[in-house]
Amino acid sequence: MPTTHDTAARGGGPVTLYMLHALGSSAAEFQRLRELLEGRVDVRGIDLPGFGSAAADPDATLDETVDRVVQALAGHRGGRWLLGGHSMGGKIAALVASRVLRGDAPLSGLAGVVLMAPSPPRPEPMDEERRDLMLSWVADGAISERDAETFIDQNTAEPLDPGAHSLALADLRRTSPTAWRAWLETGSRIDASAEVGTLDLPALVLAGTDDADLGAASQPGLLASVYPRARYVALDDTGHMIPLERASEAAAAIAAFVDDEVLVGPDVPDEWARLIAGDRVDAQVRGILNRRAVPDDRGYAPRVLDVTQLTLLREIADVVVPQVGAAIDLAARVDAQLARGEGDGWRPADLPPDPEAYRAGLDTLASAWPADPAARAEALRAAIEGRADATGPLDPPRLTAWLEDARNDLVRQWLAHPASMARVGYDGFATGGSPVRGFVEVRLGRREDWEPAGVGGTVEAEEAA
Amino acid sequence: MNLGGMRTYGTDGVVDVVVVGTGAGGAPLTAALAGRGLSVVALEAGRDFALDDLTPDETEAVEINWMSERLSGGDDPTAFGPNNSGRGVGGSTLHWGAFTPRPDRRDLRLRTETGEGRDWPVDPDELLSYVERVEGDIGVSGPTPYPWDPHRAYAYPPAARNAPADLVAKGCDALGIRYADAPAAVLTRARLQQHRGERSACVNCGACHQGCRVDAKATTANTYLPAAVAAGAEIRTEAMVHGIERDARGQVSAVVYRQGRVDVRQRTRALVLAAGGVETPRLLLHTGIANDNGQVGRNFLAHGATQVWGRFDEPVRGHRGYPSSLITEDMMRPADADFAGGYLVQSLGVMPLTFATTLVRGGGLWGAELMQRLDQARFMAGIGINAECLPSDDNRLVLADETDEHGIPRARVTFTAGENEKAIDRHATSFMLRVLQAAGARETMVLARTAHTIGTARMSADPADGVVDPDGRSHEIPNLWVCDNSVFPSAIAANPALTIMALSLRTADRMLAAA
Repeated sequence: MPTTHDTAARGGGPVTLYMLHALGSSAAEFQRLRELLEGRVDVRGIDLPGFGSAAADPDATLDETVDRVVQALAGHRGGRWLLGGHSMGGKIAALVASRVLRGDAPLSGLAGVVLMAPSPPRPEPMDEERRDLMLSWVADGAISERDAETFIDQNTAEPLDPGAHSLALADLRRTSPTAWRAWLETGSRIDASAEVGTLDLPALVLAGTDDADLGAASQPGLLASVYPRARYVALDDTGHMIPLERASEAAAAIAAFVDDEVLVGPDVPDEWARLIAGDRVDAQVRGILNRRAVPDDRGYAPRVLDVTQLTLLREIADVVVPQVGAAIDLAARVDAQLARGEGDGWRPADLPPDPEAYRAGLDTLASAWPADPAARAEALRAAIEGRADATGPLDPPRLTAWLEDARNDLVRQWLAHPASMARVGYDGFATGGSPVRGFVEVRLGRREDWEPAGVGGTVEAEEAA
Repeated sequence: MNLGGMRTYGTDGVVDVVVVGTGAGGAPLTAALAGRGLSVVALEAGRDFALDDLTPDETEAVEINWMSERLSGGDDPTAFGPNNSGRGVGGSTLHWGAFTPRPDRRDLRLRTETGEGRDWPVDPDELLSYVERVEGDIGVSGPTPYPWDPHRAYAYPPAARNAPADLVAKGCDALGIRYADAPAAVLTRARLQQHRGERSACVNCGACHQGCRVDAKATTANTYLPAAVAAGAEIRTEAMVHGIERDARGQVSAVVYRQGRVDVRQRTRALVLAAGGVETPRLLLHTGIANDNGQVGRNFLAHGATQVWGRFDEPVRGHRGYPSSLITEDMMRPADADFAGGYLVQSLGVMPLTFATTLVRGGGLWGAELMQRLDQARFMAGIGINAECLPSDDNRLVLADETDEHGIPRARVTFTAGENEKAIDRHATSFMLRVLQAAGARETMVLARTAHTIGTARMSADPADGVVDPDGRSHEIPNLWVCDNSVFPSAIAANPALTIMALSLRTADRMLAAA
């Protein structure tokens, strides 16, 4: 598979993808995906309460299931990770992801979601006769082999290969009737759209063209307000059981998605990710940092600037805030900031309001901006010092004044990213919890034992030992 | 703060006093007047914050700052927003640094002493007695005895010295400069605050400017405002005043404010403007009131607040602890001064984005040098000043053509440092460089900045020469009072909030005496 990404620039091991399975299935449905992506993406399925190895677990309501997944993910060690879900698992994944982005879960590092024929946060569209039929299968206990065969037949476009078929059959037969009912009667009907809200992160949505209500044709309508960055992939001749029906195609789509949209921007070092996830950080702050660490959208469509202006601002950002390795798209973040109307409470008296100043400043600087990257620092220096040979809406003093604002916005966007905080050794965000904990050790050359070693200084107890 | 169960007043009736602003200028007076049985309504442009709403994240913490744009001009344009402007129940005391040196008597008599600047038409002893009352009301920590005022006592032991403080102390020791733990309105022991409950001791999180989450830092929202509400005052939030109505005699009869999309009129017998050095004159200019002599907006003052940063061998990590935990007042009247007045010196810790902004705006940095300094930031300790600023007719606030989200013209402030300010800055820069070098700094960096919004509605004995009289009452409208940093005739070197609160209590007494 082609990759345009400089994988050497990122740290840590491969990205981990945690997958939540469908109704009546288990983590085993992702086994082939795991084998196909080995070395590129570490796929790990999680058995949900009432299914697979957790079939005896009685806590199968939607809320309890979300809690279990959060607990399982709290064991994550190392690197950025993705959360995925197939069908029912998709709704649970959305609920977990929303907790992570709000900071309400003790987790950090979520970089995207992978969904397969997902059940949406809103009530799942489901034919009521079909719901009743499926409920009838567990009226007298576990699902029979005959009913399980019916289920598989209804949910596949073509017959599964024997290995996949026997796996699906076994998972259906060991499914807890309680969990089966909990989803069909309640979980699938709960409207979680307000709780989930909008999840503004990389999202891959795979769906079959031969699936019914959760098929390729329906998904954009079901998810548009949830995943504004969703990339939809339609799988031909595919029903609802995507990981078993189309493991190879799914693996290829996931690999491309990870390269294009997930391995973007700097990694937050593991020690810092654990600090952010930990109980020294307030939920509000954790949410702020988790949202900032979400990979930038390579296809970001500017809202205040035009594409030409955004490109120039990116080139200016490269000079003002040179980043080594995987970079944050500071220019896009500044554009989004301008679109939200966020400034710093003042501006130079001779400049127009920020959005207009940016457009005018960029249009002016464009006239004196060299194509050669090596010449850009000197061009910027000339503009900052008021001696640029630039023509446009801003005269030299105004261009200088605007560039001061722009430089400030760019560096603040850089420093607000948790990877940057880690780089400069700032851990003051971890002064929260209940009760609020600040610093006990504030002296020169010292740090506390909870602080990442990279911040520098020694821990007093270590020194004494 | 908890506004539930608060007494409320109907907008159909007439209240005794409307106060615009709930910060250092408005809150003490609101509490004092309500405590004497007056019906008082305080109007606050911002919202009410619970402790849990506050965040140490610098980007998000601006919700406690006044972020609606001001236009800043002149040769030395001053930064607003998080640098000095608050919004919310508590005003600028939500984000203030709580650094509480007392005003120096000599600064209040600068004209008499030097022939420059202005004398305050206020008895220094009287003002200082109010200062002591404020310290008792809000809880101030500091060293006892205080080296420059041996009779002074603080109720709580000083905040812990952080690494920048230790380094500045080392430099001062080497140079024979006196220093002390800084007075700060930050509790170092828990305190039962009447009408508020228990306020915790400081946990050294370093996020004073983002809003204290443990109530250790005094704000008006955890001191005077709960007292005011307990005494029957009403606080109306997200209420932006844009109109002042007058009766046939020219007296203020009502204010008009916008709450949501609704304009509300509140009739009142007296009006106190306590919206700060920008919003108070902006409202007066917008309504065209109390400005027959053309003095509103004149003599804008900003403290010189230049910083010097030194790079040390060991990690300093100055985001830990109370940021300015060391002070020296030795430069209030240096022997070799070629200027009038003086400056206070403090050690500096800083949060990272604030430092980055100072590097960009004050140091002019970008590119590899900017990134290098950010990487070195954890090894840097700072020292900074708060310097006298003399009034100048060239420095003023006017209304811009552009309007804000409420349709009110934006403030346009022009500030250019004069010869005296430049002379102080040269002296201070040289002094601070010597201190950090003596402390062992490998290299140093000078970053220019200014702080605080002062002047624009100054107090004067001569009605032609200011906006309010020595009591704080308008020279032109008898039932209009101004009570915030806009009435300062000169900047004085002390950080303003403590003095503003003292003036607020004093103004309340003058209003009661005049009634």
